[in-house]
Amino acid sequence: MLFSIVFFFSDNQIRFVKAALWYYGYDRPELYRLPSDGSAGSRELLLAFSWLLHRISLLEQLLARNRVKTGDETSVCTCEDGLPNSLKGTTEKAPEHGLEGGVDVRYLQWLNGRLRFQWRSLHAQHEEQCKLLHKIHLFTSGSHVDQILGHFSVTETDLVRQPENYKQLLQLLESETMQLEAFLEWKQLEPVYWQWMETVLDNMAEEGNTCESQDARVEGSGLPKVASCCPWADSLTGQIDKLSRDLTTLREQLHKLTTRRKAAWCEKVKTREEELQKEGFSATARKIQESVELKLLDLTYLCAPPQKRMHGSHRLVFRNKHPASKMGFGRSVSKEPVSAVSATEVIRELQMTEASLERELKQLQEECRQRLDEVAEGLDGVICISP
Amino acid sequence: MSIVTVQLGQCGNQIGHEVFNAICSDVHDTHGLCSKKENESYRDACKERFFCEEQSEVPVARAVLVDMEPKVISQTLSMAARSGYWKYDDGSHFCQKQGSGNNWANGYSVHGPRHKEVIMNLVQKEAEKCDRLGGFFTIMSMAGGTGSGLGAFVTQCLRDAFPASFLLNHVIWPYGTGEVIVQNYNSVLTLSHLYKSSDALLVHENDVVHKICAQLMNIKQISFRDINQVIAHQLGSVFQPTYTAEGGLHYSRNPLGDLMETLVPHPEFKMLGLRNIPQMPENSLAYSTFSWPGLIKHLRQMLIANAKMEEGIDWQVRPPCLGSSIPSRHSTKKPLHFNTSVANLVILRGKDTHSVDLGSFRDPSLYTSWLNPKDAFHSWKTLRAFNKYEKLASLVSNSQFLLKPLDNVVGKAWNMFASKAYIHQYTKFGIEEEDFLDSFTALEQVISSYTSL
Repeated sequence: MLFSIVFFFSDNQIRFVKAALWYYGYDRPELYRLPSDGSAGSRELLLAFSWLLHRISLLEQLLARNRVKTGDETSVCTCEDGLPNSLKGTTEKAPEHGLEGGVDVRYLQWLNGRLRFQWRSLHAQHEEQCKLLHKIHLFTSGSHVDQILGHFSVTETDLVRQPENYKQLLQLLESETMQLEAFLEWKQLEPVYWQWMETVLDNMAEEGNTCESQDARVEGSGLPKVASCCPWADSLTGQIDKLSRDLTTLREQLHKLTTRRKAAWCEKVKTREEELQKEGFSATARKIQESVELKLLDLTYLCAPPQKRMHGSHRLVFRNKHPASKMGFGRSVSKEPVSAVSATEVIRELQMTEASLERELKQLQEECRQRLDEVAEGLDGVICISP
Repeated sequence: MSIVTVQLGQCGNQIGHEVFNAICSDVHDTHGLCSKKENESYRDACKERFFCEEQSEVPVARAVLVDMEPKVISQTLSMAARSGYWKYDDGSHFCQKQGSGNNWANGYSVHGPRHKEVIMNLVQKEAEKCDRLGGFFTIMSMAGGTGSGLGAFVTQCLRDAFPASFLLNHVIWPYGTGEVIVQNYNSVLTLSHLYKSSDALLVHENDVVHKICAQLMNIKQISFRDINQVIAHQLGSVFQPTYTAEGGLHYSRNPLGDLMETLVPHPEFKMLGLRNIPQMPENSLAYSTFSWPGLIKHLRQMLIANAKMEEGIDWQVRPPCLGSSIPSRHSTKKPLHFNTSVANLVILRGKDTHSVDLGSFRDPSLYTSWLNPKDAFHSWKTLRAFNKYEKLASLVSNSQFLLKPLDNVVGKAWNMFASKAYIHQYTKFGIEEEDFLDSFTALEQVISSYTSL
């Protein structure tokens, strides 16, 4: 069963779709070779769509984004921004300055200061939001129908204060319900869809065998074409190549270093042991142990698989007897709190991250200081007073 | 967005009281010259900023009062309560039973650490009362003895306890011919310590305010109360609510943050001066009218010529011509007496403020070479008049306003230090000669930064 879907795309839209698919890792060259006028390729598009549907759980993501907000949401994700939503790759243009030969460092200091102050204002606003949220939760405790939650959310409280807004909220809830019902229907029919996709793939495989000899030649040029339609593709591929090269060289260096260090270390340990026998042993041993534990913590944290860390949105729930806890989204509220995370746990993790980042900062500052001292030594009559 | 005021020493407490007075009387003034709705937003914004209305009929000032002796504090508390319009929180003050001598080192090294916990507890309590802490505003004199030493120490503690908050220090610059013989030492020590912890130092010079009282306000016998009232009026004109964005719909809720971001992002340039125009006795207000172009022209010349008030402005001083040559890094090409600015903030209050033309302040020749007017100049406005002035323009300027006074004070202090005069008063409480040298170095750095604008 074959049918063609006819759409009218603009050149820009086609390029954007190709770039986005490439970003998500779709590497079927036939798609990228499609003409930019949208005249052909409905089957390739269908394949790409199905791939995306499965790959990034497209429908689930859309549903999550369209949820009616309770206002109590917070994110506990501490990852650096790797979300596909923020397609980075645009570089800011440096502001016009009229100064030939670069920007005055004092202007950069000025901008840095502004950034710091803006961060502080944001911090204060955030604290205010927390305080007010706490007030809402505290004052509405015991009022909620759901015994486990126990208090109103921001949206519910707002509704109580301004009842005439109920129409809008009702509309939103109705539309969300419709979407969820449609999704349920889809889930029931889903196996049929994938069966159909299998037949499409089978058909393509048959056709593909006949054209393989032609494709082989053109395949090599597939990626560069993509690179031209994707502004950040060049830099990314270059970076990936550089990374792999760096990794291999690093591995060799590391191996050499470790063998050398081990030998030197054994020597050091022997001499130190003798020294320590004379001095007090236990205090130094404890200090050494502490610093080693810290370093180990740092390393394990750095190498921690990302799944162990928490992601996604959570809803803040206030608990009187126990410290405030959070409940994961996307679960139905049942008798026992599902996937709840206590605030103390999150705080502890954040404190660990903060401590390790501070250590890293101190290390970098020390390195900077040493570099500055070296530079200052080279200059005559210059004394470097580091902060 | 609430500001917690910390009133330090006799000077700080007296000025603080006048500031709250000025703000309160302005808010209760029904002649705001604007719509009722505007007046109400103004009042609500002001109340959120300075007062707490939780459990009393009268607004309670968000303030902590600190002094070494009880007299001034009890006077301040009772005067406020008697006004009937506002009061201080009864528990929010700290003082000692007996005074402790006029000694900076004593205040900084002895009294400070001794009473740190009590004072910081009071501050913490005030901070927690705020839904949103907008920062701290401290008021103190620079050259007094124990008050300034203690003030410098308390500022440090504030910075340590609230690293993410905005911290603005209001300092009173002493009379050039003041009575305290070691006032220059005190000034140097205070300034250098404040520079480290504070975000910005807003300065009022006693000499200048005295002249304003004499020449503009026509006061014959000038008392400290007159001086404090002028200062309070000027501070009120800066900190009362305004719209900080063009076409903003709400009064800004982040006054200290906005101030810091527009004027002091650069860590070397933290000295702020304040000018007001017009300034006159209250009973003359009804008989005077002004035009905005005239006011702006005068204000601009006050900035350029470093005039302390609107009389006696030197109109000969002109901005340098920025020709087609590359802007020089050294200011040798600038005419003498020309006051170069890092950044300026003009605040307009009253009738027709939306139509005022401030283009003359955006002249690039007013500013240092590495900052263009887009970044360096900002203006805040409100149609709501302040303190019965139909039109009022204030200028908060990060410029060379205080370069000469600073140079003066440091020079005199250095001369005294060279002969080690009176140093024992400080060393006996733990301020060593090295600390003096550090302070001198820090201030020389500030002087050099401002000189090379």
